[in-house]
Amino acid sequence: MIACRDFRAELTANANDPKLLEHVRACDSCLDYAASFDPDIVFRAIGGGDLVPPGGVDAFVDDVMRQVRVRAAANVVSVPNRWTWRRLSAAAAIAAGVTGAALVYQHDRTIVPAAVLNPRPVAAANLTTKPVVETYESEKATIVEVPTADTGSAQVVMIFDDALPSDL
Amino acid sequence: MLFALMALVLVSGTAFADAADAGKALSVRTFQFKFKEADKAAALIKPLVSGEGSMAIQPSSNSLVVTDRADNLKAIAAALQQYDAPARNVHLSVRLVGASRVPGAPVQEPVAELKDIANELSLLRFNSFERLGEADVQGKEGEPGLIDLASGYRAEFKFGEYDPASDTIKLNDFRLLKLQNDQLVPLYKASLNLKLGRTVIVGATKPQGQRALMIVVVARR
Repeated sequence: MIACRDFRAELTANANDPKLLEHVRACDSCLDYAASFDPDIVFRAIGGGDLVPPGGVDAFVDDVMRQVRVRAAANVVSVPNRWTWRRLSAAAAIAAGVTGAALVYQHDRTIVPAAVLNPRPVAAANLTTKPVVETYESEKATIVEVPTADTGSAQVVMIFDDALPSDL
Repeated sequence: MLFALMALVLVSGTAFADAADAGKALSVRTFQFKFKEADKAAALIKPLVSGEGSMAIQPSSNSLVVTDRADNLKAIAAALQQYDAPARNVHLSVRLVGASRVPGAPVQEPVAELKDIANELSLLRFNSFERLGEADVQGKEGEPGLIDLASGYRAEFKFGEYDPASDTIKLNDFRLLKLQNDQLVPLYKASLNLKLGRTVIVGATKPQGQRALMIVVVARR
């Protein structure tokens, strides 16, 4: 094996000299020195440049790419699962809120007196009013009910109709 | 988790169903009429039926099937019981007044027979009033009525039905006619709702006319 001083003097980039590679395998300090400017020397030293995967490089690359696609597909499938659970959680929260609100509403309804909830019928309050002149033969006529504050006084209704004779 | 969600949904549904049931609680009642027609009764109680309620007329049995809240059905039953009564007697007091506007003339004091409506007449733009006649007429719901006045005017009408909700009696097909050259000339035709016991003055005139014809009528039972 050559000396460290000779190794460092002869070392060049992409060196493939068996003497240099042998020294790298044996001397750690020179390995660190060589790797600082030529990291691939480590692999060349252990014979990595000559290694061929089983079935050839193309089969190896295909296998790697298949794995990449399978993992990408698995990630795509796993995303909706994560969102589905989030949606279910949100739905559960909404359902719980609605249930609570409904129960509170029901509770309020039961304690409110029925008389407050059920307004008096119109007939009982006697609020129904009808116009004095309900129908009139001429649609062009104007019918005016004179408002009166006192229900005991007479109700005056005037019909203004151009079709009426002037000598009424 | 899924079971918890289903349980929540079921609880929500139950709560809403209970609330809805308590709010609706509809009842059905059938009213059969002895003196009045079911379709007229339906028109009478239409304002009383709530938005949740409904009604169906059965002409073969002259009855009305009403679906509504129980408390509302009580009010409807009371109104229909009052409505389905034998034809009532109606008494009409009618006066006919001629009103004129004489430009520049002072407002005349109404004659003694019109003193009770002097305030109301003073609201109008006329300054002279003359009594054209008066008459009392009696009839029953559904019967025709006729009033002939000596001044040459005639009123024809048909007594309508009493409406307990508004306490009014209706005069259907009320026609006012005037005798001219031995012929009765129709002046106008209308239908009137008269509140019982209240004096009603119905005046008719041309829009810029100097004369008006006023019918003063009081209906009583």
